[in-house]
Amino acid sequence: MSNKTHDTDVAFIEALAELLRKNDLTELQVKRDYGPDDSLNVRVSRQTAPVTQMAPQAQVLAAPASAPAPAASAPIETTMPEDPAAHPGAVTSPMVGTVYMQAEPGSDPFIAVGTAVKEGDTLLIVEAMKTMNHIPAPRAGTVKRILIEDGSPVEFGAPLVILE
Amino acid sequence: MTWPVGYGRVVLASVDSTQAEAARRFARFAGPEWILARSQTAARGRRGRPWLAPAGNFAASLVLRPDGEAPERVALRSFVAALALHEAFEHVGVPRSALALKWPNDVLLNEGKVAGILLEAMQGAGGGLAIGVGVNLIAAPDPEAVETGAVQPVSLLEETGIRVAPEPFLDALAAAYAAWEARFVTYGFEPVRAAWLDRAARIGAPVTARMGHQTLSGIFETVDPQGALVLQTDAGRRAVTAADIFF
Repeated sequence: MSNKTHDTDVAFIEALAELLRKNDLTELQVKRDYGPDDSLNVRVSRQTAPVTQMAPQAQVLAAPASAPAPAASAPIETTMPEDPAAHPGAVTSPMVGTVYMQAEPGSDPFIAVGTAVKEGDTLLIVEAMKTMNHIPAPRAGTVKRILIEDGSPVEFGAPLVILE
Repeated sequence: MTWPVGYGRVVLASVDSTQAEAARRFARFAGPEWILARSQTAARGRRGRPWLAPAGNFAASLVLRPDGEAPERVALRSFVAALALHEAFEHVGVPRSALALKWPNDVLLNEGKVAGILLEAMQGAGGGLAIGVGVNLIAAPDPEAVETGAVQPVSLLEETGIRVAPEPFLDALAAAYAAWEARFVTYGFEPVRAAWLDRAARIGAPVTARMGHQTLSGIFETVDPQGALVLQTDAGRRAVTAADIFF
């Protein structure tokens, strides 16, 4: 590899890192083909934003469940000590929006850590374009962790709740 | 006004809320259906805000099941519903110059709040979308009942002298909605977005977006292809997906 290619590669990787940061992504993988047997594989990843718990009580109860369970199929490649999105029990946001933990201000939240839910029960609401999206439990289980705060913005694919 | 093909029509004397009734009907969904209630005992607006609905005002919900659509696309029906409601007002005789749209789904009459639209989607199997529409046909709530800084409530009758009963208004709205829904499904968001922008209030003017934990002020530039409100702020362009907008 010539120095010139090396420099452009470094610039390219720096641009990717900037893209990652700007768009609040956690991981980005790109392959560049320069010619036969000459390619560049880049994988850039970073820590997600610190996880905010709902209440002090939630933190205490959540602690024993914080170690990610091993995935049943292929091992998950991760550079992070703990990635809630990779947790098999993670329920992720289907869209960009704002999270609400209760049906309306002042009413009880849909769930708390320890709540047993049935498949289809509303876990929380994600609002976008004034559309209130009720996010249902994909299966029956117990809420182990709540990874978002009422009123906070979420990105597509962001882990919301760990259900076990 | 011809009732649109493929849409059901239910008129109830009284119900808790048409949105609650719509959600109960997701489980036995057999096609899009409008539910009109002559009176509601537990009417509500966004985030549980009370919605005052005296007899003679309009309250209805449309039950839909947008098959195979991603949630962010389903949510674009905020704009579809706003355009349909705007058109229904025109149909009953309101001049277009008296009407304007406020992001994403408020219809303003003489710069006042004459209606409210609330969309609730239940994701997953057995889910659906309920689009609730409330219109102050004959009476508006007391201005003191609304949030400080919010658009002042007005009624169709008091502003224009036009007296329409809920049922004929539903006929106008259902026909307009079906036409906009068909455009949205066939051609996507772009024609909806263009029509919405054409009727929007305050483009190029300063607005304030009040979000959960922060408030953002800037120039209302446009609505992006994802439906987000684009604000030009001192810190650059910002796309807002969930906020209350204040002029």
